[in-house]
Order: sequence, then C-alpha cells, then structure tokens
Amino acid sequence: MATTGASDGASAAKKEGLVTLMSGDGEIFEVEAAAVAALSVTIRHAIEEGFGDRPIPLPIVGARALALAVEYCRKHHSLGGGAGEDSAAYDDELRAFDHNLAKVDRDTLFDLIEAANYLEIEGLLNLMCRTVAEMMKGKSVEELRRTFDVSNDYTPEEEEEVRREVSWALD
Amino acid sequence: MESEEWESYPSAFIEGKDLKKDLNSEYHTDQDKGALVSLDTILPDDLLEKILSFLSIVGIIRSGSVCKRWNDAVQRYKHTKMVPQKPWYFMFTCGEEAVAGYSYDPSLKKWYNFNFPCIEKSNWSISFSYGLVCLMDSENKSRVFVCNPITKHRRKLPYAPGGNSPDYSALAISVDKECHNYTIVVAKCGQVPEEHHLWNISIHIYFSESDEWFDPFNETLVGWRGCDDCVICDGVLYYLLYSSGYVGHIASRHCLAMYDLSTRPGHFSLMNTAIPAPCTLTCGRLMNLRDRVILVGGIGKQDRPGVIKGIGIWELRDKKEWCEVARMPQKFFQGFGELDEVFASSGCDDLIYIQSYGSPALLTFDVSQKLWKWTVRSPVSKRFPLQLFTGFCFEPRLEIAS
Repeated sequence: MATTGASDGASAAKKEGLVTLMSGDGEIFEVEAAAVAALSVTIRHAIEEGFGDRPIPLPIVGARALALAVEYCRKHHSLGGGAGEDSAAYDDELRAFDHNLAKVDRDTLFDLIEAANYLEIEGLLNLMCRTVAEMMKGKSVEELRRTFDVSNDYTPEEEEEVRREVSWALD
Repeated sequence: MESEEWESYPSAFIEGKDLKKDLNSEYHTDQDKGALVSLDTILPDDLLEKILSFLSIVGIIRSGSVCKRWNDAVQRYKHTKMVPQKPWYFMFTCGEEAVAGYSYDPSLKKWYNFNFPCIEKSNWSISFSYGLVCLMDSENKSRVFVCNPITKHRRKLPYAPGGNSPDYSALAISVDKECHNYTIVVAKCGQVPEEHHLWNISIHIYFSESDEWFDPFNETLVGWRGCDDCVICDGVLYYLLYSSGYVGHIASRHCLAMYDLSTRPGHFSLMNTAIPAPCTLTCGRLMNLRDRVILVGGIGKQDRPGVIKGIGIWELRDKKEWCEVARMPQKFFQGFGELDEVFASSGCDDLIYIQSYGSPALLTFDVSQKLWKWTVRSPVSKRFPLQLFTGFCFEPRLEIAS
C-alpha cells in the first residue's frame, strides 16, 4: 500500500508504512498508516506528533469497535482514494460496505459512534448517527425510551407541559 | 492517561443514570435490559444533536419529549441551521365553518390532525416561505398574519394599506434564510368606477425588519386586471394578470408581470414586463421551487376555456419564456376527477402537490425525479356530495419565529 501523501509526518512511513494502535482493552493492531491517517484525524495527529514508532494508545476505543473502524478506514481509503477509477462502481461497493457495517447490533453501534467520535472519522460518525436516526424513525416517545434505554426524568406535570404543545406529533 | 480519559468522559451521566435506575421501579422489571448501555449515557451532547440532524421534524419533536437532556439538545438544535425538510401539505374542507384539517408529512408518509394557527376561513389567501406561512383575511384584506405552523408562533401585522376590499388581491411572502427577516407583498386590484376596462393595481410591501408597509407602486391598467396569485423569487415579484377586455382568438388570457422588489420602481408599466401564459389557463398557481418560478395550471380547451384537457407544469426561463416541465399523465388526470374540475396546487423545494377541490385525494409530483404519485389516503373524508376541499403546502421548520 502506498503511503505517500497520507501525512506530512515523515515517521508515518516507518515499518513499511505500518502503524501500531492499542485499543482501550489492550489489544494491538498493526495497520496501514496511510489508510487510517487519511480517515482518522486523531490518528493522523498522533502520527504527526511522532507516535509512529510506538503503539498509539486509544483508551476509550474497545478492540471490537477499533477492528471495525480500521476496516472502515481501509475500505474507504482503498476505494475512495483511487483517482481515475470508475467512480460509480466504487460508490456502489462503498455503499454496500457501509450498509453492511450499519447492520451491527445496538451495542456495537454505540461503541462505533464513540470510536468514530474519538478517532474523528467523520464519515463513519455520520454513518452511525444516521443509523441511529433510522432506528428512531416512526417510533413513539415510549418506544424511543425503550429502544435506547433512556429513563423519563420529567415529572408528570412537566411531561404534560412538554407534550401539550406538540400532541399532534406524538400519536 | 487512560484513567484520565475515562474520567473526562461524561461519567456524571453514568452515575446519575444508575441512581435514577435504582429509584425507577420500571427498570427492575426489565431484568434483561440491565446489560444494555443506554444511548443517553454514552452520547455527548454534540452527537445527540448530530443524530437529531438526520431526523424528520416529527422525530425531532418526539425526541424532545423523551427526557430533559434530549429536550435540551432539541432546543439547542433548533437554533442551528436545520437540515431542509420536505414540504408538508395542509388539507381542509372549504366552507363557512372553522378551518380544521390534517397535515401530510411526506417523510413519514403520515397525516397529522393539525390545528393550523391564525386561519379563520377556508378562503383566506395563503403564502409560505422557509417555515413561515402568511395569511390574509378574505373579508378584510388589511388583516395579515404570519405564523410558524409547527411551533404555533404567530403574529398579526400592522394593517396593510390599499383598502379592505379590493376586487382582487394576491399575497406573497419571502423569508431571508440567513437572517430570518421577511418581506410580504400584497397586490390589490380594483375596477375604476364606471370604467369597465380600467383597473387600479397597487403593490404594498411589508418589511419585518422595520415592521412597516410601503406603497411603492400603483398603475391603472387597460384591459388587464390582477389575479389572486403571485410569488416572490430571487427578489422579484411575479404576478398573474388576466385579460378583462375583448377576447379574440388569442392563445392565452393570462400573462405574467414582474416587479423588482429591490429597486422598487415607481414609474413604469407592469405590462412592459408581461409575458403571456403558456396556454389557456385555469387554476393557475405560481410557486417558487428552489428559486425557480414554476407555474401549475389546467390547460383549457381553445373553444371552451373552462374545460380542461390536462394539467401542466411549466418553468419560467430567463424571465422570458415558459418551458414545459411535465404534464399530468392521463391515468392520474382521469383519477383526478371531472374535466371541469377546479384544483389547488402548491409546492416548494422539489415537490408539487395537486389536489382536486372535489376530492380529498392528493397527488404529488417530484420535479427532480419526474415522478407522479398519490399520497397515502388522507383522513379527510367526503361526507356529502358537494363537499369541497382545498389546501396549501408549507415548510416545516422549528428554528424560525414570526
């Protein structure tokens, strides 16, 4: 994999272009620096700051979410980065990839949101937030509380007040 | 470093949450849910707002009722520039009784039982722009209101000049998307006493910034009068005129006049700007679709202008000529009702709604996809044969106040 243009930090190219990431639960990932640096702002900065030789600690990202995030970066880097390719075909493949990635279970979804937010992978973050919004679509207030395990902290009076003005939208 | 990072994360939410769970007996009954992570505990506020940005307006409103923190996020999100929403359609029965109807939400394909603010009679004039709806009383055309139908925020404007009961009047509003100031135009037209072919037209403009009306223009037209429809597009008022005079074998009795609202000229003739309508027109309606002037109307038969042979959609190009965008396909036109039927049409963004007065069925045309489609059945029902229906569309927005 080419590493040129991925980062201004020269150290990124060491170890044949690999960089080591360490998940919050201590798992080590050796990944192509160019791919992750191109999509993750956090990792790009870490590489630029000279972390290229040492494992980059990602304390709040679990191994499972990190593996998926890395997969996302690889896929988008290899397909999205290739100039002059038949972009329509790549778009389709990326769309299919994103679509599959969004099919994860609820807990993984939240882990991925946290990971994408921490790693600053904008595309992944948007994809996952959109997935949550998709899960919310058409749900009543009670269903939303159940689906996302959010407790109702309104007093009955407050809740009535909040609901009164918008009762037409709540059915 | 690791523990620091963890601590800087919103642990307060997690702790607060657990405490609440203990107090909330509901959670003890759902034992299997104990292992799940609540969305509330892991999402920082900015991500909650990001998720809101992907929701339809009803989803956003419902989120506000879930809990206090979500409601705070909704309140903050309302002050950002919200993602555009597809226009809704408010449908109601024509008649003397109070206006009551349903709003159609094309995102969720749902009808909502909806109390529309301000509107007292079904024959009031309506115009809308960027989340606001402007309404003018049909009896007293100096009474003008502006409201946000979603938040129910409403305002009565100072009395509009130009007389309470002109023969014809048209209303248009245009909202500045950036600063939310708005401009309203009321065009009034009355016959000169004892002069059948002379019509006085006056244009009155209201600016929300100064909360004042201005009367920059009036003109006496010969053989032409104003219709009841106008629209503002890119700072120009487009106003339908109708030939009241001699009718020979002209293709169209309607024409479109233009008035520049930024320069507001006092001395010129509207007829100098006028271009003929694309055909013999019935029920012609002007709309602004993404800063394009669109005309929807029935295509009248040459010999019997009251009978329509189809419904067309045209776009005004270069302020000079009409270009046909679409014609309602025969199968929809037939399902649409009688050939002499009058109909309402209204649209914005990429969507045009068309509705026959005789039936509560609602047809949509997506301009970018060139797609005709009936909406899901409306809960408005026809209870007696002569019951008539009408409606108009508006942009649902939370962030703008009148």
